[in-house]
Amino acid sequence: GKEKANELHSEMTVFDLPAFAEDLLTFMGLNRLEGEENDSDDESIAHGFLPNNAWHKLGAEAERYFRRSPSFHYMLGSFKADPPVPRQRIE
Amino acid sequence: TSQVQQNLERFSGTQVDQKVSELVQYLLVKDQKKIPIKRADILKNVIKDYKEVYCEIINRASRTLQQVFGLQLVEIDTKHHIYILVSNLPCLDGENLKQSPVLRRVPWVSDTPIVRCRDDRTAKLGLLTVILSFIYMKGNAAKESDVWEMLKKLQVEPGKRHEVFGNVRELVTVEFVQQKYLEYSRMPNTDLAEFQFQWGLRATKETSKMQILHFVAKVQSKDPTAWTSQYNEAAAAEALSHH
Amino acid sequence: MATPMTDGHRRFLQVLMSHGIMEGSVARTLHRNCCEIHKGCGTKCYNGMSLKSEFIINPWYAVYYAHDKLDDFINVVNIHLQPFFMQIRKGMSEDDGKTYYALVNLAETEITKMASDYTENELELFRKTMDAIIISENGFASSTNILNLADQLKIKKMKKKEAEQVLQNLVQDKWLSERDGEYTLHTRCIMEMEQYILSNYQDLVRKCNICHSLAIQSQVCETCGIGMHLPCAGKYFKAQMEPHCPHCDEFWPHEIPGSKQPILQL
Ligand SMILES: [Zn+2]
Ligand SMILES: [Zn+2]
Repeated sequence: GKEKANELHSEMTVFDLPAFAEDLLTFMGLNRLEGEENDSDDESIAHGFLPNNAWHKLGAEAERYFRRSPSFHYMLGSFKADPPVPRQRIE
Repeated sequence: TSQVQQNLERFSGTQVDQKVSELVQYLLVKDQKKIPIKRADILKNVIKDYKEVYCEIINRASRTLQQVFGLQLVEIDTKHHIYILVSNLPCLDGENLKQSPVLRRVPWVSDTPIVRCRDDRTAKLGLLTVILSFIYMKGNAAKESDVWEMLKKLQVEPGKRHEVFGNVRELVTVEFVQQKYLEYSRMPNTDLAEFQFQWGLRATKETSKMQILHFVAKVQSKDPTAWTSQYNEAAAAEALSHH
Repeated sequence: MATPMTDGHRRFLQVLMSHGIMEGSVARTLHRNCCEIHKGCGTKCYNGMSLKSEFIINPWYAVYYAHDKLDDFINVVNIHLQPFFMQIRKGMSEDDGKTYYALVNLAETEITKMASDYTENELELFRKTMDAIIISENGFASSTNILNLADQLKIKKMKKKEAEQVLQNLVQDKWLSERDGEYTLHTRCIMEMEQYILSNYQDLVRKCNICHSLAIQSQVCETCGIGMHLPCAGKYFKAQMEPHCPHCDEFWPHEIPGSKQPILQL
């Protein structure tokens, strides 16, 4: 109520953390469990299951807001010592 | 200056060329883990006997990184001489990305399955961005306990092993801090041993308050200007960084 | 003076740095995107014509035309990468015969040894795995064999679970390829390591009798011992009713990859 009043007066939106968290879960594709909300007394845990790629999906969106340098990855030249002598091919 | 010129004359052009090339390779290798690179390590591992022409070498390496790779060498800490690499290619807007699935990094481009991808680098960026968003929207600093409380809503808890992130506490308080994405410090003016998070130096170079505000706006389907206080601060920061 | 690099070239390079290896058609799409986003590429992007209209006029011409431009585009990048011993290479996958582009490292120096993707212990497991793949008859090593190798590491023995995680990382980073618990070298690995493998495993490796490239997976003539890539064997024997070895003329005893008709059992 108070936040709403402030909003009406100053046109300023206050950052609503619970809403942000809910919107993040929606963005990540949370499969909500129906009817569980009322039963549980633990309000802070999301009621549902995130898909395996939930954070990857969020990360892919986040990448667009960063200027991250791509890294160069290689195998050749990364070894420290001479290779071991392989056994003879079994014919 | 004549001193620099004299130093350069003592070394052959090809010797200096080779050092520039070695430095570029070194910076690219060191960037694999995203741990900032120290000048002391550069001098020890690459420059060695060419200390007198260090400035020339690093300037040329910096120019080469830009011209060939589109990467910018940024000295994030001018006191301790610590460097990172940042992409300075123009960010693609939504219209460009619609036409470019490859550039949008659609998962099908990679032949590896998304599930449990080593591409957890991308997933980690998702987690980091949530934390950076929270810090900014809360006024540029956030109590550690508040951060963990927020993450708990997202099914991420410091005490539990996470399927994607593994040891989350270590990822957030050690890895992200080493990479200089986050700054982790004791809270001022308190008897309690409470810690707080702030943006690290890398975060300020790889993204910006305005970009993070756009991220929050995207997630919440709002206009960035809706958060007047944060928008004004972000706009002011944009104006400053253009000077 | 080399053709200067543009933002289009730089973006293409950055995407390839991130992905490591890219299938030909994806690379062509990326090339087109990079040129369209960054107008005024150094090379003329289809003389200003959109690829779409080319396709409408003559699909075959467009494909050929586009291939040429991509390779020219990549040549520009490669000239500039030369001082850093990096190269965008074009190669064929032993699995599907498709063309791939990979960004590879060409140097073996004190600096390249500072790579930190894998620990020394993990790299030792990778090398032993590579050994096992190369000495095998068909170019595959079973996960059982590899996990047993984890118990023989010099630096520190690796637990099976830890070794499994390393193998998983190697597959996801596209150094190894896995199929039904059997591992072989990923196309990316072959494209980068070809010279290294040819010089370090001289007596053990085969070159394809058809395309003369290194053959990790291959079909071998039981009489004279020549080998062929599976896609190359498929192409070579495609029209033959009774396939015969191109070298010794003996009957080819293997199933022809991609062939519809069953092989007659002698
Ligand atoms: Zn072949
Ligand atoms: Zn034969």
